[in-house]
Amino acid sequence: MRRVALAAVVFLATFVALGFLAFPVVAIFARVPPGRLVGQLGNPVVTDALLVSFKTTLAAQALILGLGTPAAYVLASRRFRGRSLLVTLVELPLVLPPAVAGLGLLAAFGRAGLLHTSIPFTQAAVVLAVAFVASPLYVRAALAAFEAVDVDVVAASRTLGAGPVRTFFRVVLPLARGGLVAGSALAFARGLGEFGATIMFAGSLRGVTQTLPLAVYAEFDVNFDVALSVSALLVLISAALLVTLKWIPSASTSRFRFATSI
Amino acid sequence: MTRFAAVNAALTVFAAASLTNVFPQIDASQRYSFDGSNALAAQLRQGAPADVFASANVSIPEQLYAEGLVEKPVVFTRNALILIVPKSNPAHIHSVFDLSRSGVKLVVAAPGVPVGDYTRTVLHNLGLDSALPNVVSNETDVREVLAKVALGEADAGFVYTTDARTVRGKVATIGIRWSAQPIVQYAVAVVASSPHKAAARAWVKRLLGKAAQKKLLAAGFLKIR
Repeated sequence: MRRVALAAVVFLATFVALGFLAFPVVAIFARVPPGRLVGQLGNPVVTDALLVSFKTTLAAQALILGLGTPAAYVLASRRFRGRSLLVTLVELPLVLPPAVAGLGLLAAFGRAGLLHTSIPFTQAAVVLAVAFVASPLYVRAALAAFEAVDVDVVAASRTLGAGPVRTFFRVVLPLARGGLVAGSALAFARGLGEFGATIMFAGSLRGVTQTLPLAVYAEFDVNFDVALSVSALLVLISAALLVTLKWIPSASTSRFRFATSI
Repeated sequence: MTRFAAVNAALTVFAAASLTNVFPQIDASQRYSFDGSNALAAQLRQGAPADVFASANVSIPEQLYAEGLVEKPVVFTRNALILIVPKSNPAHIHSVFDLSRSGVKLVVAAPGVPVGDYTRTVLHNLGLDSALPNVVSNETDVREVLAKVALGEADAGFVYTTDARTVRGKVATIGIRWSAQPIVQYAVAVVASSPHKAAARAWVKRLLGKAAQKKLLAAGFLKIR
């Protein structure tokens, strides 16, 4: 009897949890007929935002992979004083409120900021905002993936005559690939959804800095249907990214896949 | 009953962002939500619980009235627009006509936001539609425009004269001649779904009363014509 009651409670909790997570997503589609969703793809506000979003997220992704990979490798393969402090620093943007991130970017790169740049209100500002908030997801995953690479295999490669660079590209990188791909996909998805830091640091201008999430926010006041359609589009893109991630065999076998999602 | 009601009778007032400083001065005991008037209207349309809606224009509450969401709106104050530049004035803007110079970073509110629409009217009245390509950001309410200019990130922005007063020392102002000013009227209405309609109506009445009007004038708002 008690076991039945326990099972019922567990089942109910599971049902409520899954329902709670799925319901808002389902509700978006319940209010946007598929025909209108497709129709909105021709709306210039939507196409402009789509273009800005992909351009800036891809550029940010290049930055994240190009700078994040060596950073993660150094943090994973070296032991030095202050290492855990650096790891914490890398992870900080993950838990920072986006508005704080935006203010920080203004304080650093704003015209009145420490570096006195003219980056705010440009597409480069969107790229920086996205890179700032999304990179921890990749660096964390890459760090874990590099740490999981067997040091003996690396040592064997070196004793067999391969230099550090060759060892990195031929041994370490292939072994860590699963975690890197997973982290990169998560960072991309997070970057695509970036909102708070972008609106503070880059502003919102159609065709320049107005990304998909900013378009949702702007259209909420003006045309709720357009906001819903863009939201549905974002759900589809994000879901597609997650599904693709599960289909990549090397990514799905990585035991760090779930460690990367907070 | 009376005491209990008095404690719990705090009204939820949805008010235009430009009223952020003055409303708590008029009456500190209510709960305020300040945002762009159009954003507040969107929230009301989605069923947000509010008792009073004060908009920086007449058209938004009139539209809500037509939709049956608010009672008949009444005009309770007026305002005017002004151009602000950071105190350091990095783009050397000394007149509105400098705005169409290339490279000027102009920040305005988005179309649909009352001050965004007024800004476009002003530019049009001044024959300055050519300044629109210099817009680098369409902000969601007037306080975002104010912040970006006061921070020194934007070269110039259009706000209400009452907003400029709240950041004295950080911005310099450039007046706009009266013939180019739009009619900036604020309208207030009781929300139709409010469970405290009597209290809400009394509050609106007080807003039109002498004491509240005096506070509005002191903050730089203009007398109802």
